[in-house]
Amino acid sequence: MPVAAPVKDSISGWQIAKVPPTREPDLEQDKPVPLLAPSAAAESATISRPGFAARWRAWRRPLTTLVILLVGWELLGRYVLTNRLFFAPLSDVVVAAIHLWGTGELETHIWVSLSELLEGVAVAIVFGIIAGIAIGISQRTREYVEIYITALYATPLVAVTPLLILWLGIGVVSKAAVVFLTAVFPILINTASGVRATDALLVEVAQSFCANRRQIITKVMLPAAVPFMLTGIRLGIGRGIVGVVVGELFGARAGLGYLIFISGQTFDVPALFVGIITLAIMGVGLTFAAELVEHRALRWRRVVSVD
Amino acid sequence: MDMDLSPAGVTVEHLDMEFIARGRRQKVLEDIDLQIAPGEFFVIVGPSGCGKTTFLRILQGLAKPTGGHASIGGRIVTGPGTDRGFVFQSDALYPWRTVARNVVFGLELQGVKKSEAAARAQAMIELVGLHGFESHYPHELSGGMRQRVNLARALAIEPAILLMDEPFAALDALTRETMQRELLRIAAVAGTTIVFITHQIDEAILLGDRVAVFSPRPGRVREVIAIDLPRPREAGIKQSTAFQTYVGRVAGLIGQA
Repeated sequence: MPVAAPVKDSISGWQIAKVPPTREPDLEQDKPVPLLAPSAAAESATISRPGFAARWRAWRRPLTTLVILLVGWELLGRYVLTNRLFFAPLSDVVVAAIHLWGTGELETHIWVSLSELLEGVAVAIVFGIIAGIAIGISQRTREYVEIYITALYATPLVAVTPLLILWLGIGVVSKAAVVFLTAVFPILINTASGVRATDALLVEVAQSFCANRRQIITKVMLPAAVPFMLTGIRLGIGRGIVGVVVGELFGARAGLGYLIFISGQTFDVPALFVGIITLAIMGVGLTFAAELVEHRALRWRRVVSVD
Repeated sequence: MDMDLSPAGVTVEHLDMEFIARGRRQKVLEDIDLQIAPGEFFVIVGPSGCGKTTFLRILQGLAKPTGGHASIGGRIVTGPGTDRGFVFQSDALYPWRTVARNVVFGLELQGVKKSEAAARAQAMIELVGLHGFESHYPHELSGGMRQRVNLARALAIEPAILLMDEPFAALDALTRETMQRELLRIAAVAGTTIVFITHQIDEAILLGDRVAVFSPRPGRVREVIAIDLPRPREAGIKQSTAFQTYVGRVAGLIGQA
């Protein structure tokens, strides 16, 4: 991440201001490390926000790629794949998007898919974390269920979608159930691994301070497992989006997967692309949001870079 | 600053410790008898693998002896207690907690009221010279500073005895000397009993009121030597003849077959 020079100055100013002037000289050789600590730098960089120039530098390259792709798409549709039954240039897709937005249809699809995703993921997070902790801390629970969880994780659970639609109807609930099933296992398995990966020394420290079992779980194992949980949630969201689309392909009244399915059936290629691109934007947006949360929650971690 | 500590003494009688490793019985400690006076700075020095860390873990209640017993402040040790503060070798800080939140950890477990706990933690942070670093995370600190946090965390629960397991072993030579000086200063303020483990002879003599020399495995007490050097001690004392005589004596005891 490029950091502008004035930002760097403000970092050291902020740090030095916190160092008391009347320390013994021995702290001097003890001290330089925090001044160079990468995450402290990152933290203050977000406090003193980067200027327009810095932000433009960060986005310049991905935006260039985007422009090239979009122009290439337009040219491809205009001059190479000219059969409108199979492909559409970007401009047609934009027109279709404006039309769908104007009729309110696109908002409905987005809203339906998003609520299916968020409801499913929310339940998956709650259940996955609780079950993951239980499995992580208890050898006995693990012996009962571990192998079956592994089996379910490896099974493409979207395969049970027709059954869920039979049971729960073609509304939002059946698709939220598909999302739950696809998203819960990465969250559960990651949480359990995180709990089990807790540094034994950190548990011993708590024991030596007379922590009881509950305190060891809540004050040592849970915080230690948070990075694992967040990774699991990010993976779960990714799988959940697949679950939404597949679920809607099987049977739905609305949603982006439904839009794609119907558009395909009616050779409406521009509308089909509108569905795909909206899904892509949704996926990028949610992943970005999840990463933002991770970044905020994991400020305590050393930032490792191999640049 | 005054700390309201009443230091505790330690009595160890006929302590034995055996491990079963790979199906074979291994004797780690054999027939340890020790008396440590309240307020004493007691150092145990010995080669690696002599069971000195195991001995400290028994005092802390993290390990159970296979024979004999240890008592602290007149009570036999059966498990960890809030009368003892343990300073671990290294990197035993909670990486997701800031300096202040690490130091307050023991008090938080005891359910001490938040404002009081914060005030006591702050006093300890200042005692170990970390004022201004309260909101830093461990990874932002140097090794020496992390050990200061470690020490502050153990002192915050106002222990009657402080158990230190080679706390400076992972530090570079310069930082180590700084920390030894700091520990002498802090020990004088805190007035608590200290049991300190090291494999460095000069560190043992610089710090200790008495130094117990352990033999290689199984660990036995070869000799307990009273270090009759004036306090406060400075690093310069290492050049004195008296200091060098002690070094020679301890080295001789460790070197014995």
